[in-house]
Amino acid sequence: MLWIIYTSFRTQASIFTGDVISPIEDYTLENYEVILSVADFPAFFWNSFRIALAVTLISLVFSILAAYGLSRFKIKGKNAIITGVFSTQMFPPVLLIIPMFLIIFNMNLLDTVTGVVLGQLILILPFQVWMLKGYFDNIPTDLDEAARIDGCGIFQRLIYVVLPVALPGIMVAAFFSFVVSWGDFLIVSVISQTQRTATVTLVIQRLSGALLIRWGQVAAATVLTIVPTIILFFFVQNRLVSGLTAGAVKGD
Amino acid sequence: MTERRKGLLLLVPALLVMAVFTVYPLFDALRMSFTNENILRDSSEFVGLANYQRLLTDDVFLLSLRHSIVLVTAVIVLQFVLGLILAWAMSQDLPGMTLFKSVIMASWVIPVAATVIMFKFMAQPDIGLINIILQGLGFEDLNRYWFGDPTWAFPFIILLHLWRNVPFYGIAFLAAMQAIPDSYYEAAEIDGANAWNKFRYITLPGIRSMIVVMVTIHVLWTFNNFDFVFLATGGGPVNRTDVLPVYVYRQSWNSYTVGYASSIGAVMLVMLMIYFIVYLRISEREA
Repeated sequence: MLWIIYTSFRTQASIFTGDVISPIEDYTLENYEVILSVADFPAFFWNSFRIALAVTLISLVFSILAAYGLSRFKIKGKNAIITGVFSTQMFPPVLLIIPMFLIIFNMNLLDTVTGVVLGQLILILPFQVWMLKGYFDNIPTDLDEAARIDGCGIFQRLIYVVLPVALPGIMVAAFFSFVVSWGDFLIVSVISQTQRTATVTLVIQRLSGALLIRWGQVAAATVLTIVPTIILFFFVQNRLVSGLTAGAVKGD
Repeated sequence: MTERRKGLLLLVPALLVMAVFTVYPLFDALRMSFTNENILRDSSEFVGLANYQRLLTDDVFLLSLRHSIVLVTAVIVLQFVLGLILAWAMSQDLPGMTLFKSVIMASWVIPVAATVIMFKFMAQPDIGLINIILQGLGFEDLNRYWFGDPTWAFPFIILLHLWRNVPFYGIAFLAAMQAIPDSYYEAAEIDGANAWNKFRYITLPGIRSMIVVMVTIHVLWTFNNFDFVFLATGGGPVNRTDVLPVYVYRQSWNSYTVGYASSIGAVMLVMLMIYFIVYLRISEREA
């Protein structure tokens, strides 16, 4: 990773010398200038960002509701539902994407942000529901029991009692969906047809697949692709693993 | 409305999305696997088991199948062992360990496409870091593009998986280890247990449920993983790194023969279902 950051500041000529260290005048910001101005990179960056944001918000609302329901209410066939949700993890995405392409085509959503968002949701929802359910299970029920007796409705209990306590877990869940969406290649490569919806992962793949690879520019684009995920990572780093594996600690 | 009814309603949005975009596509794909459906054609016909019969004589399919099984086995075993070693190393009080622990998960966080580019660049002939180091050590004749080398491309795919996931394993195992009460180890020490016995009879059982979860999830994720191979080699050189998901993708989006592609995907699904049923049996027996 350090190597690619280093490379992003070197000129094409100095990269090709094969030397590890080059004279100071060979370092440049040119790669970033080219990527940001010529290559339309900001547009793709914006695509990635709004897709990831939409996926995160929608999946978070849906999975919080579902996890809350599964964790706090007596529901018939609950264990079957949980197993069912978890078992969708084994459906090969490359298989699901074939009919999904046709559905999205028939909905006239091919090459739209909405289409990509709908597709990516299925990569995230099952794991997120399973993980948040485990997280909610680890929160004592005494508080929301008390709130229920005081006459709070289910949404009041969710918003004022459960959510504040579960905030660390929810941050990890949000982080998970943002990172999966941001890094997704499969769904975007099928649903996105033009530059209108292309994301950064698609673009760095194309840049690095060119006949004559300008490694300096590829490196700059790669660094820019990594940066947002690393920034977010620093907010959740210590809680990441305990959050991700919460479903495991107290399974059903 | 009863509380119970309301609880059920909370599940509706998530289950609806999964029904439309996961369950329905699954059945539709299974249906397609019995047809000669092609994205470029409007109509398709029922062809019975023809696609499945074709699989049996399709060399690329059989090769991909073998690669997939080898890849999952190698990756899971290595990740497990290296993850344990990493967790043990991180539990020692070494200087800089706190910083190390906090940054190490970054490899899991950055997009796969970016990881692949970094490794492709490092594997470049002449200008890549790997070859520069090898030359520095005096192995000039090893200079090559590692992902383009028939022998080395597959180990490099394994390496990509390890680089991404071993830290996740390490941190997860470490978290589970730290939840084991110290008194267990103290009691064992009084009884004269050696390091291996402590590991075998206290640590391993203590992190058992974490091991089961990590391995289960990663068997599914690794087997279904498409990005690493597709982005790094596309299955090449000459099919040396082809795995099932990549073959399904090529059949669907390069050849547009989605009927045939679905039958390959269906085989993948059946394999994972067998694995999943075995897993459920084992976990139920223990519960």
